[in-house]
Amino acid sequence: MSDTPTILFEDVSRFYGEVLGVNRVNLTIPPGITSLVGPNGSGKTTLMNLMTGLVRPSRGRISVRGIAPDDPSALFRIMGYCTQFDSFPRGYTGFQFVNASLLLQGMPAAEAEARAWKAIERVNLVDAAKRKVAAYSKGMRQRIRLAQSIAHEPQVLVLDEPLNGLDPLVRSETIALFREHADRGAHVIVSSHVLHEVDMISDQVILLANGYVVAEGEIRGVRAEISDRPHQIVIRCDQPSRMASRLFEHDHIVEVRIHQDRRGLLVKTTDASHFHKLLNKLALEGINIETIAPADDDVNSLYEYLIGEEGGN
Amino acid sequence: MDIILWRRQLLAIVQLEWKKTLFSKRGIWVYALAFLPALLFGINAYRVRGVHAEQQQIIERAPNAVAASNRINSGMTANDAAAILLDAKVSFYRFSRGRKLEIIRYSDGANSFDLMFREGALVDKRKRNQALLSDDIRAYAGIFQYFYLRLAIFFGCVGIFMNLFRGEMLDQSLHYYLLAPVRREVLMVGKYFAGLVATILIFCTSAALQLYLMLSAHPAKEISDYLAGEGWGHIASYLGVTALACVGYGSIFLAAGIIMKNPMVAAASILFWEGINWFLPSMLKKFSIIFYLQSLCPVVAPLNSDIPEALKLLVTTAAPIPAPMAILGLFGVSIAVIAFASIYVRKLEINYGAD
Repeated sequence: MSDTPTILFEDVSRFYGEVLGVNRVNLTIPPGITSLVGPNGSGKTTLMNLMTGLVRPSRGRISVRGIAPDDPSALFRIMGYCTQFDSFPRGYTGFQFVNASLLLQGMPAAEAEARAWKAIERVNLVDAAKRKVAAYSKGMRQRIRLAQSIAHEPQVLVLDEPLNGLDPLVRSETIALFREHADRGAHVIVSSHVLHEVDMISDQVILLANGYVVAEGEIRGVRAEISDRPHQIVIRCDQPSRMASRLFEHDHIVEVRIHQDRRGLLVKTTDASHFHKLLNKLALEGINIETIAPADDDVNSLYEYLIGEEGGN
Repeated sequence: MDIILWRRQLLAIVQLEWKKTLFSKRGIWVYALAFLPALLFGINAYRVRGVHAEQQQIIERAPNAVAASNRINSGMTANDAAAILLDAKVSFYRFSRGRKLEIIRYSDGANSFDLMFREGALVDKRKRNQALLSDDIRAYAGIFQYFYLRLAIFFGCVGIFMNLFRGEMLDQSLHYYLLAPVRREVLMVGKYFAGLVATILIFCTSAALQLYLMLSAHPAKEISDYLAGEGWGHIASYLGVTALACVGYGSIFLAAGIIMKNPMVAAASILFWEGINWFLPSMLKKFSIIFYLQSLCPVVAPLNSDIPEALKLLVTTAAPIPAPMAILGLFGVSIAVIAFASIYVRKLEINYGAD
């Protein structure tokens, strides 16, 4: 058995009365950045709330690095949750909001204060830290929530739509922060609607629809398992017409489109591995291939293939 | 068991909560309820001071007024009585009610009197509006037990303790606490202590202010005599009972705020239970807060003879039990209620309707 700490969902279901939250979820989430992707109402927040013990499963078992979510005193020593709930304890300044959460951990006041400032600095909110949270913009509120969730340096960071309301510069800084946590061996669980960002940051994805997990794993791995959709590959080369005619000699090639600039082509194939072997052969035949890039092993395509709607962006 | 950690966490929760609870806009009506009796005692103090000032003037103007008043006896005619008063320089009002009843109203500086003359002869000599400290002490006992304990502190605790969890659920801010590494039971007890700090501060301040206003209107000699006797004991008892009422009702409404969604249903049910305490068998009586509180009140509340019998049943005090038993019983009920609520708080979920 591997020693890698994981987040485990074993046959987890959650119903709100007769309304389905999530159903029969089985997941093993390794450390790294994992994105939860799905339309509104798909169960992303329910899954996060289950993981953090804010709601209890109607059935099944959850374990976060060996800790049950119904033990908050142990769980939140290793976990930080940046929720989507845009409400704060009344009258708090940004600093008080972060500092108080550390005091609740039982930290001595001096240590809590030092850590609070450090976290606030990480999200670039030092100048506004003494202002009331009620006067913050949406982006600032998002950042102070993020500061609160990372202040105790958790091993599991759960972030519900963490990039909402952030400007591009802060977005990239925030993504870098997630990456830093993941590189240290932490779990970073992110839910997002912005699929190109999910693509950019995720080590693995969990696709949800109507309370069910539709797919999970590394994006490329998930794409590889979708056999009923041809793989799309973009090739930039010097002889696209010749390449197209050679490709059509093979059954697994479904469609070829030559780019308007006549410097490349889009190929759809039902057998990606066979196709890559074929490309080697064509290169040896004298076609100069500049780049080969998959065109549909991104979250947007997965979303479209598996959930059936056009992904957000 | 990490007692040191729990203590730190409790302290942090109380520090975070008590000011929020004390200065909540939602709780303004609690202040109104708490300080209403103080307002009444303030008005009464103004009246009592007026009466005393008037009595002082009479004493200065008519030093023989008391002796003159003592000479007025049954059977005396209205003219004779008036002559005695005029002789002692006591001013009076003389008026008639119907053809047969004549009244002379005056004050001798110590007491006010209504002399009732029927067919010319004195038939009744009624004392009134004496502004005596003993009357105010009895009035305080009545207001304290029938209004302050049963309504003001009761509903004040509804407003404060029920909001500790339910209010934060409505504000969608409860998750802030639930996402901290704090045992739910520690969170609940921390919030309870914060509620206690706020309610004890509000209601004990009001009770003390009421006592001050009640006493301050009376002459210094009367006050010092009262304090030298049972006065300080009464004051300590009233403040203690106020604090214990917050402990008892606080625990009940904290639990109700966790268990029940509608605070008014909970408040009405508990008010009913407390109201029927008098009818309950002795075993069930012990599961009520008012039973213990009434046993600890230092003065038996007066019961107006005009009150209808049905209402009397509701306001009659239960047979008292010894003070140590009452205090232990009240703490026992409160601890039992908090322990019961901890079962629910462990299962508490956040579902603001997101997703």
